[in-house]
Amino acid sequence: MKLTTEDKLSLLAGSAKYDVSCSSSGSENNYKTGELGCAHNSGICHSFTSDGRCVSLLKVLLTNVCIYDCAYCINRVSNDTPRTAFTPRELADLTINFYKRNYIEGLFLSSGIIKNEDHTMSLLLQTLRILRHEYRFNGYIHVKLIPGASKELIEEATLLAHRVSSNIELPSSKSLALLAPDKTKEKLLSPLKHARGISLQRSAKPISMSTQMIIGATSESDFEILKLSSALYDKALLKRVYYSAYIAVNNHKYLPVPELSKPPLLREHRLYQADWLLRFYGFSYDEILSENQNLDIQFDPKTFWALSNLHLFPIDVNHAPQEILVRIPGIGIRGALKILQARRFKKLCFEDLAQLKISLKKARYFIIAGKDFHRSSSLYTEKIKLALIHQGSNIIQPTLFDTSIYTGEL
Amino acid sequence: MILLYDGSFEGFLSLVYEVYYEKLHVSSIVKKMPETLLFERFHEIFTDEAKARKVLEAITKHFTKEQQRTIFHTVLCDTREYEMALLEYIRIGFKNKKELRNINNTNLFYIQNLEKELLSLVHKMYGFTRFEELEDGTLYVKIETKFNIVPFLGEHFCKRLGNIPFIIHDVKRSLAFVKNDTLREIRSIASFVAPTFSNEEENFKVLWKSFFKAAAVESRYNPKLQQSWVPLLYRTYMSEFQV
Repeated sequence: MKLTTEDKLSLLAGSAKYDVSCSSSGSENNYKTGELGCAHNSGICHSFTSDGRCVSLLKVLLTNVCIYDCAYCINRVSNDTPRTAFTPRELADLTINFYKRNYIEGLFLSSGIIKNEDHTMSLLLQTLRILRHEYRFNGYIHVKLIPGASKELIEEATLLAHRVSSNIELPSSKSLALLAPDKTKEKLLSPLKHARGISLQRSAKPISMSTQMIIGATSESDFEILKLSSALYDKALLKRVYYSAYIAVNNHKYLPVPELSKPPLLREHRLYQADWLLRFYGFSYDEILSENQNLDIQFDPKTFWALSNLHLFPIDVNHAPQEILVRIPGIGIRGALKILQARRFKKLCFEDLAQLKISLKKARYFIIAGKDFHRSSSLYTEKIKLALIHQGSNIIQPTLFDTSIYTGEL
Repeated sequence: MILLYDGSFEGFLSLVYEVYYEKLHVSSIVKKMPETLLFERFHEIFTDEAKARKVLEAITKHFTKEQQRTIFHTVLCDTREYEMALLEYIRIGFKNKKELRNINNTNLFYIQNLEKELLSLVHKMYGFTRFEELEDGTLYVKIETKFNIVPFLGEHFCKRLGNIPFIIHDVKRSLAFVKNDTLREIRSIASFVAPTFSNEEENFKVLWKSFFKAAAVESRYNPKLQQSWVPLLYRTYMSEFQV
């Protein structure tokens, strides 16, 4: 049976959707007069699907034919699903037409392994060549490096793409052996190391790379996951690690039972929050968690950290430097900058903070602002916890000094 | 005293001129004559090019590039009452430039937030704008937005679309950014005839819709989240949301 372009697109986009990476940020403005396409530094979301995830790239597989047999993957060789493939030309034309209509920011191209690694990688590169050389397309392109592909091909990929990536898939070698017998950590990381090496030879700034880990399919703790991410960031191997809540698409003896397992979305969310703390807030992974611990489900990682380190609080917002301000639960980078700007002109009190639209919901338990600090619950972990959990219900009686008079909340 | 002006940028600049040279005490600024006038005094400002130019020159000389941008950005927020705050912004800027950074001042903070709101709308529309291809290959899009962001979109897509001619049509304001080989400007639209689309257009819309559908993960279904990212307001011209 011959499939139409529409059928192919449905199949191959449907197979690529489990890859969570969609960002196109961090690329430099590469505008050239008269040429098509230009990357945008902050990335642009073009739509949001019914699961609330952003669409910014045409995220597809070149083919869903695969010789590998990874237990968690919908395209594994032992699954009986309809198989198809785009030709590089078909895919390039589709990209250009979608781009012109401003449906997308660029292309995210991945693939199942057809025939062998090098063959697959060449097909991906052929698509990129048509786009870059023939159409003079400067828009964003993210391409998956096929583990095991030869060095020359990986080198060409780093020349043509804005970002390359290779998924680590599972947080430990043990789990990989169990669920992805064709893959090892070395095999998955080596294209990344190689791409980084090549791009560093050409310029001081290495090509931006990312990876993805599946969360909740295997037994690793959040501590192990964050430790791994943090090592990858420290060695500057990667710009982003994506966490993907395990979604059951197959039955397998080593995987959670599909009917019982819902994707652990809250855990995924907490990991992203913790990851954010690593990348932007100057936290180290062992500050956030201790050995074998999982992230707290009830509190976000920063609040949890603050509650376990109450001896560092309350923090005086009129004197603390930026790196301390951002450690206050409820105050982010923007909030900290607003405080820094405003306090040059006057000493800030709770009312001023509320005026500046800084949320005091969490922050008020952890700060001093001028003469104001939160009097109705002393700095005692359990009381604060209770207060944070029951926010909105009447557990803290407003007193004359309570900030709720100003902020209109309890 | 209540000031009445025509809502244009030139009009506003003329207003600033009169406030300065006539030493007016302003209590509010309106674009339309209010229906009932209480005991307030009332003064109509006539747009005057010479006055407007004088004020504009003074602003260019006195304010930093960034502050000038803030002033122009504020004026583009045309559905909001920004006049009193902007007047205050300009007044403070002429008196003491350093003070412009004082976000403890309600007017300055309001202006800062307004600019943020405008730029965030611009960013959203960079993504949510959907071109349709016309018979002659021109790309055409209709928008209906809270603020006047046509200048931003025009510049953005000039960078993106290479040599492809395009038109961005602001339906509410009857404005259009027109770009082709010889032209690159914002025009006001007097009359409008619905254009004819290229043969391929419908096909790509169908492909885009099926991609959009296929990209969603069913077990993560969360329409509430989706709506918080793309409020219904933005969906009018986005083909993936049309049944």
